[in-house]
Amino acid sequence: MIELASEPQHVEAVPDRDVSMTVNGRACRVRCEDRHLLVEVLREQLRLKGTHAGCLNGDCGACTVEFNGQPVKSCLVLAATAEGAEITTIEGVAHGGELDPVQQAFWDNDGFQCGFCVPGQIFATRWLLARDTDPTDEAIREALAGNICRCTGYQTIVESVRAAAVGLRDERRTT
Amino acid sequence: MIRTALRHHAPTEVAEAVALLDAHAERAAVLGGGTMLVPSLTRGERDVDHVIDLRRLGVDAVTVRADGVHIGAMVTYAHLLAASPFPGPAHLLQRVAGGITGGPQIRCQGTICGSAAYANPSSEVPAVLVALDATMHLHGPGGARITPASAFFLDAFTVDLRRGELLTGVSVAARAARLGYYKLKLAEGSWPIATAAAVLPPIDVGSGGIGFSGVGYSGAVVTLGAISTRPIRLDLAPVLDDAGRLPSDADVDDWVAAQIGEPWDDELAPGDYRRMVAGVVLRRALHRANEENR
Repeated sequence: MIELASEPQHVEAVPDRDVSMTVNGRACRVRCEDRHLLVEVLREQLRLKGTHAGCLNGDCGACTVEFNGQPVKSCLVLAATAEGAEITTIEGVAHGGELDPVQQAFWDNDGFQCGFCVPGQIFATRWLLARDTDPTDEAIREALAGNICRCTGYQTIVESVRAAAVGLRDERRTT
Repeated sequence: MIRTALRHHAPTEVAEAVALLDAHAERAAVLGGGTMLVPSLTRGERDVDHVIDLRRLGVDAVTVRADGVHIGAMVTYAHLLAASPFPGPAHLLQRVAGGITGGPQIRCQGTICGSAAYANPSSEVPAVLVALDATMHLHGPGGARITPASAFFLDAFTVDLRRGELLTGVSVAARAARLGYYKLKLAEGSWPIATAAAVLPPIDVGSGGIGFSGVGYSGAVVTLGAISTRPIRLDLAPVLDDAGRLPSDADVDDWVAAQIGEPWDDELAPGDYRRMVAGVVLRRALHRANEENR
């Protein structure tokens, strides 16, 4: 039998705030607690479930998003620090129902199996190919060092990144 | 999820940040890039009520001048890599930034100053700052103060930050020197097990200066990192002969091992292993200083 406390227990109010940010090109405002992680707000409040919560320790990279143009692990970011930030999640990468070239390359080359890590791999790849249009395998593996995959053994991911580089170079040539 | 009822502060003035830190003392933590603090809060290892976020403090600039560099507290490793090349041995900071584990995400989030303030013995940054004779810029209730990196790192995870103080930047003066760096780690995603930064006098310093033939190491100073709870700075003079030459490898290794009081011991490597490899790592850094600067 559970005994009820005779007096109501004091529950400390958890500090919270409104945070305004632009997510996938759309301005939004969310009410969140100061202790909330960005990954929690993206998934639970904005319902952007493509940002995966893995280790919550900064190791696995599954929660990677672009934050003001840079890849970050959103489990390492307090949502309160995102005030005014521009954020792109995996839901904002494809346009008009068409996969972007990096996504397409992962699809074509079996760059994933279960798919849990793939959003993070995509953002790490985008960062790499924006700086190096023809990366070596070593550079590819180095760029993906912050993303852990338990399925593929990485080889098909490396092949996907290589294919994405070719696709992006071809795209630039024709535009 | 972080279970404590954190309050997030984003001061825009250093004085405001200092006042918050002073008021909340051990119940407050400074948030830089967040790569160490945020997961430690998530794991429940840190228990604080206030987080002082430096993001809006205006300490996110890298200043590169002929006489040295200044790096603000919020400068990330990616920012360092994108900056113009640092003069002289200070370029080691950019080299280290390129080798930080955790991939581009951590390089875009983590900061040199955050790593310095965290003072993990296995981190590369403390020993590199000591090797470069960096100056730490601190602000506290009493105003600004500077301290050399060699005096900043006190123990494992312990630095010379007084109540209400925060680290706002580091600076490294330009100087003529040759540099060699060697890092031992066993996996890309691993912290280093041992590092050595060798700083040697320049080859051409004029007839009245320190001559250097290329075979000796006169004037060499090597800073070992990840070996002990704090960086170990070694002046090699006691083991060099009159021509500046080293004794046998075994004698060097024995001498280096004897300079290490209590080696750092963690899940990556036992202290005895670190003591054993310290001499090898030191010799390789010296060799690189000689070979890479000819």
